[in-house]
Amino acid sequence: MRYETVIGLEVHVELATKSKIFCSCSAHSYGSEPNEHVCPACCGMPGMLPVVNKRVVDYGMKAGLMLNCDINRTTTFDKKSYYYPDLPAAYQTTQWFAPVAVNGLVEIETSKGKKNIRIKQIHMEEDAGKLVHDIMEDTTHVDFNRTSVPLIEIVSQPDLSSAEEVEAYLDRLKNLLRYAKVAECEMAHGTMRCDVNLSVRPEGSDKLGVRTEMKNMNSIEAIKRAIDYETARHIDAIENGTEVLVQETRRWDDIKGKSYAMRTKETAGDYRYFPDPNVMPVIIDDDWYEGIKATLPEFPEVKRAKYINEYGLSEYDADRIAQSIALCECFEDACAVSKSAKDAANWMISDVMKTLNNKQMTYDMLTLNGKKLGELILLVTGNKVSRANGKKILVAMFDDETVNPEQYAEENDLILSDNTDLVKKVVGEVIASDPKSVADYKSGKEKALMALFGKCMKELKGNCDPQTLRNILTEEVNKA
Amino acid sequence: MDKDTLRRLEMLNQLSLTEAQKEDVIAFFEKRDSELSVLEAIDTENTERMVHVMPIMTVVREDVVKKQFAREELQKGAPDTDEGYWCVPRVVE
Repeated sequence: MRYETVIGLEVHVELATKSKIFCSCSAHSYGSEPNEHVCPACCGMPGMLPVVNKRVVDYGMKAGLMLNCDINRTTTFDKKSYYYPDLPAAYQTTQWFAPVAVNGLVEIETSKGKKNIRIKQIHMEEDAGKLVHDIMEDTTHVDFNRTSVPLIEIVSQPDLSSAEEVEAYLDRLKNLLRYAKVAECEMAHGTMRCDVNLSVRPEGSDKLGVRTEMKNMNSIEAIKRAIDYETARHIDAIENGTEVLVQETRRWDDIKGKSYAMRTKETAGDYRYFPDPNVMPVIIDDDWYEGIKATLPEFPEVKRAKYINEYGLSEYDADRIAQSIALCECFEDACAVSKSAKDAANWMISDVMKTLNNKQMTYDMLTLNGKKLGELILLVTGNKVSRANGKKILVAMFDDETVNPEQYAEENDLILSDNTDLVKKVVGEVIASDPKSVADYKSGKEKALMALFGKCMKELKGNCDPQTLRNILTEEVNKA
Repeated sequence: MDKDTLRRLEMLNQLSLTEAQKEDVIAFFEKRDSELSVLEAIDTENTERMVHVMPIMTVVREDVVKKQFAREELQKGAPDTDEGYWCVPRVVE
């Protein structure tokens, strides 16, 4: 019998706010001491009242609009019962009855073509703290730095049917949320986490099989391995009766390549959601809603089409630049100043992206000022600075955002010399110092001229138009 | 309310009731159930969900970080701490 896998995803994304969702503590604790960013509110002390961070709602709405959701203009917070010390209030403040966004749609593309994945809802909620289990001391150490850091949970309908589709879906979510600048979405940093709900049924059947939920996958590759393993386990249980499938939550062990039962799956009723009496309804009026809509970026495919049709880029170049909103913004600013999309694209792909890779930075970490890049391009295309020295200036611009390319070129003696007397003097000195290369060139070895050219350019510190130097050098060598 | 439901609620709430307490709880909920059935009879098909009894909305704050509390202050009442952590009985086997 042939089987099909039915997969729904719950994706938690940490929002890129400065402060926590219900208090003013910093939401960023990387490298901090334990419990450095805590207060009575996020420590769950009795009597403390939460105050909603407006930017969390902004980002929740933005994420919803990017995923084609309807926005609940009256959205409410609820309490979810939760007995575990990483959330000290013994409940999680989340959204159940009126989440910020519902009924979305995300289009993915795989080797089998395009497919729409429905989004059930996006809700805003607080993260839990971190626990460190000390086996020797028989205690658990609790760090509340991460408690109340804002999250959105994106819940899909069970529309996915393979590891390839899951990968395409997660890539698309990452791309859209990064475009909207609401989240970093880096699984390796824990700013994007994914739980997989999976069941297996005979192909063509409309009845869902027993569903298991898998947690603890830290990369897309691990998710793909977990899906393949769990699918095989379900089919084996159905066909060979190796075990009785039960609805449960399982933990993925990526080293062993196996999933293990954690607990029987709770139902919504087990969480005993009820409206949080401490947080009043959030009412999104027209001004707020329209204000957020106005900040939405163009979608990646719109950017790509614009770069091909309006800017005249190749499909390859357009794809490379449109993969990150930071690259797009830098490129468009550089184009506006340099008036040359082709030059700007070349600089972006050959130099900017290469520098980011060398610095082990993601494309979204780019903070280079695109207008200044445009000024640098003008210096090079206007023969004021050589391409080689332009690259040096770019590196300086990466290291220091205040660097002005023209000023830097002047201060560091990188302006091309238009002094032909100086060029002739240097050429004469190089020819006199290297009679062997001159003789080799005259006997037909073209490469010898390049050696002389390199020596001259070095003496001139790169500040000479290559064509001018080539002309003078050829003329002088032939005379020698 | 039957015994199975009560057993599940005991587990979820981490309670351990005596037989006498269980009978009291079941009797209590049976009485409430009959009262609630009056509400269930009301037709709410076309009624918009009320989110709050008052026409009120939350205040929101700007996304600004403020450090207002020292860790030592917050941990003054803690039964056990260690190098900045709160310590609780081990929660995993």
